[in-house]
Amino acid sequence: MSAAPVTLTEDELRRLKAPARRERLFRIASYFSPLLLLLLWELSSQFNLIDRRFFPAPSAIAGTAWRMTVSLELFQHIGATLRRVGIGYVMGAVPGIVMGLILGLSRPARRVLGPIFAALYPVPKIAILPLILLIFGVGDASKFVVIAIGVFFLMFYNTMGGVMQTPQIYMDVARNAGATRFQTFRRIAFPAALPSIFTGLKLAAGSSYIIIAAAEFLGARSGVGFFIWASWQTFAVSRMFVGIVVISVMGYLTILALEALERRFVPWAKH
Amino acid sequence: MATVQEAVRPAAMQQAQPAIEVSHLTKAFYDSEGDRVTLAVSDVSFSVARGEFVCIVGPSGCGKTTVLRILAGLEEKLSGTVKLHSATPPAMVFQEASVLPWLTVSENIAFPLSLKGVSRARQDARVRDMLALTGLAEFATARPHQLSGGMKQRVSVARALVDDREILLMDEPFGALDEQTRLVLQQELLRIWETTGKTVVFITHSVDEALTLADRVLVMSPRPGTLISNLTVPFERPRDVVEMRRDKRFWDMTYEVWRLLASPARA
Repeated sequence: MSAAPVTLTEDELRRLKAPARRERLFRIASYFSPLLLLLLWELSSQFNLIDRRFFPAPSAIAGTAWRMTVSLELFQHIGATLRRVGIGYVMGAVPGIVMGLILGLSRPARRVLGPIFAALYPVPKIAILPLILLIFGVGDASKFVVIAIGVFFLMFYNTMGGVMQTPQIYMDVARNAGATRFQTFRRIAFPAALPSIFTGLKLAAGSSYIIIAAAEFLGARSGVGFFIWASWQTFAVSRMFVGIVVISVMGYLTILALEALERRFVPWAKH
Repeated sequence: MATVQEAVRPAAMQQAQPAIEVSHLTKAFYDSEGDRVTLAVSDVSFSVARGEFVCIVGPSGCGKTTVLRILAGLEEKLSGTVKLHSATPPAMVFQEASVLPWLTVSENIAFPLSLKGVSRARQDARVRDMLALTGLAEFATARPHQLSGGMKQRVSVARALVDDREILLMDEPFGALDEQTRLVLQQELLRIWETTGKTVVFITHSVDEALTLADRVLVMSPRPGTLISNLTVPFERPRDVVEMRRDKRFWDMTYEVWRLLASPARA
């Protein structure tokens, strides 16, 4: 098929392209609109429209952040939090994915074991933190466990959902090709569930940071959560804001990294 | 010329040793929620000769797909017997997009071989042959989402042929394609069938597709599906899917099948 030569007038072309041009403008504006909020905050604080003791100006927070970065004080806390989240995340995600695949594929396993997970899932992870501290002590082990529990359920339910939504035709293809049960598991159920697994991984990353912040408030001597809580107790408000920004950025970057992995490993899904 | 081709047709030659024998096949489904039993296939008997191309034609929901799935071992029969005289299990080409989206075209075609621990070199050689046979050579590394519906069905056909099984079961493989693409693929399928000599059972709801492809057409009634006719298609091979539409017999047979399908009395 060959396109007809363009024989439109200047004016027609301009009108034809106008919506696309407007769309580009909106996109540029969308990058700056969050900054507008920051600017509003800065001005409100500078002109004493809001209480500076509770809401120090963003410029003041940035100054504190800079000093803490130079003194390397921040990195020790970031490192401690990252280690806990990383280890707990893997401890929860791997068994969550495996159990999700098993229960997704096997109706008997789902019927028998499903209710156990359904009963445990709604327990708030923070609510059992004291119990976990009792069992695993105040060290890092208790942090790994509480994160692992939170991550496990998200991975379990997302993976199982992904497997159960696998079109029957893919299972038929495997069966007709002579796949064993394990081959069906590895070559069909797992890749079919990958998009859901990545959804779970992203949700679990977000919830890991929520859990670690709370866990470090209560029982830790390091970590960003501890730092936020300690700053609040000493009324070092701008340090506290630095902690809040740091942990938010950590969560954001983790999700960006997972999205990059998703594009790499799930190239067939729409992003 | 035509009579010579008639004589070497595998179906005519080897009528004596059937590849598939189905007798008194019955299949029902039970819906426990409504406590309802649906009779899908009722007392179906037929046989398919080695190397023969048989089409089963019938309206939607007549149980023709169920018959094929039972032959493929994907569905349990309720009663009757199904005998496959073949050293290999039948290969199936499915109705809708059954190409695995996470694999490339080549990986999809190699899938059955990769499950059986066939060496990499042997897999690659087979896949190359299949890509050439199905006209997919340029698309070896493409992902399914980059392919048109027709191309995807070519991949399905290539995958079904790759491990060289004797019986090929095709479940409305071209049903979702536009008329032009369908004609092209019908011609290609005939060419492939003529070079491979497989026994083919092909399901379709399209009467002219059945007449275009088959040595024999089995006509099924609406549910509960039962065979109402067994027609031998007289056209010589190799066939030209467009040219054969100039043959008056083609339209006479089309008319005959339509009359059978339309008759409420189920002749």
